[in-house]
Amino acid sequence: MGLPFDISYVFSFVPKLASTLLLTLGIVAGSLLSGLLFGLIAALPRLYRIPVLQQASVAYASFFRGTPILIQLFLIYYGLPELLKMAHIDVTRTPVLVFVILTYGLHTGAFVSETIRGAVMAVDRGQVEAAYALGMTGPQAFLRIAAPQALAIAVPVLANQTLALLKDTSLAFTLGVMEMSGKAQSLARITQHFLEAYLALALLYLAVAFILEKLLLAAERRLLRHERPGEASGRFRLRRGLTLRKLASGLQGGTPS
Amino acid sequence: MIRLTGIRKSFGKDDVLRGISLEVNKGEVVAIIGPSGSGKTTLLRCINFLERPDAGEIRISDLYVNCSKASKKEIHALRRKTAMVFQQYNLFRHKTALENVMEGLVVVRKMPKDAARERGVRLLEKVGLGDKLDAYPSRLSGGQQQRVGIARALAMEPEVILFDEPTSALDPELVGEVLAVIRQIAEEGITMIIVTHELGFAQDVASRVVFMAGGAIVEEGPPAELFARPKEERTKQFLRRLAPEYSI
Repeated sequence: MGLPFDISYVFSFVPKLASTLLLTLGIVAGSLLSGLLFGLIAALPRLYRIPVLQQASVAYASFFRGTPILIQLFLIYYGLPELLKMAHIDVTRTPVLVFVILTYGLHTGAFVSETIRGAVMAVDRGQVEAAYALGMTGPQAFLRIAAPQALAIAVPVLANQTLALLKDTSLAFTLGVMEMSGKAQSLARITQHFLEAYLALALLYLAVAFILEKLLLAAERRLLRHERPGEASGRFRLRRGLTLRKLASGLQGGTPS
Repeated sequence: MIRLTGIRKSFGKDDVLRGISLEVNKGEVVAIIGPSGSGKTTLLRCINFLERPDAGEIRISDLYVNCSKASKKEIHALRRKTAMVFQQYNLFRHKTALENVMEGLVVVRKMPKDAARERGVRLLEKVGLGDKLDAYPSRLSGGQQQRVGIARALAMEPEVILFDEPTSALDPELVGEVLAVIRQIAEEGITMIIVTHELGFAQDVASRVVFMAGGAIVEEGPPAELFARPKEERTKQFLRRLAPEYSI
């Protein structure tokens, strides 16, 4: 199938695909931000054991963690307008991108809620008590003492989720969004150079993932700078070596650990 | 002056405090000793409402709180008059030694940062950590962390400092440096209530020793007297087991 392999097509496809990179990154950024928001909203009832909302949060997380994202995209895209129609809200003119970002946001939020819950519980209770003993209010103790440390604990997991999200956005083209994967598919069909198109696509994802990984690692180090015992420059060299392996495994499986 | 009256606390069916009354005068150093499970730590934590007492009254100078119906405002006021030093230090791990000491001043007391920094530096120098201002807790030994904890408590200039077994988590060779700092501030006339297992230290520093068992105060008195001539059988038993050198 298709025309014989010609490496020059790979090079000519890369800039063409790169023109849609901004859209892909936009979906990632929008989904990540809404995912963090949904995740926080879903985590709070479980952290503070609020009845009913707590159960709702568990149901939400298990649905979005337990069903394929492709099906979630279809269910939200076709199902949400039907639901809203019952409330007399017309969303037929809403751009498809909104549904895409909403779905990815809800999907990411389900994972983020678990991460936030675990991270906040991992910050030791004694420090919060020390904050209270100093006379801090509940919100002050949460924002100044628990949250910054929870964030540092959560960043490695959030980094994995961001990479997973980046790759998951390749499914947005099933709803007709012309992001990077959609563009690659159409280029392949038009030119009949399938392998070249998907090779160029893979290269672009790899490059973006690599840069994201670096940025997130820098953020992690900055947030965890207080947990470095002694002058541990040797340890960092070791960790840098691990990064590529982590990246490779992330691109294969992409399941948040 | 601090006056506790009829403090009661139970966890489920377990009566941890069975109506404790205790008076501590200004400048006094009171050591609370007793077997584990006697409620001494719970009593300390009730004073600043880290545990909410079921009943009783707490008076610290001009502030009076009825425990069973204490409002948020009253609890906050109590915490402003007290400071606590914890067994596990409980330093803020994402903040340096200096930031730990400044945190309460800046966030709770709304003190300008410069003034807070000045006080923080002075207090860390006082506890012998003038060269560790910018060190994170992860780089400090247990003894150093606890001294930061003491500086953090001193910074708030409380009416009383509550020490919850301040040396129990330390390696034996680090206990001395922390006790030396506590002794030093005791001599400055700061009111302290210390829950401790260090009987020798209690004898040395405390103006009064309170022996608790089973959620009640069994006996109290000046350390020399209580250790040398305990009146109650439970006190004698405890001292015999824990410190044979005190037994008669």
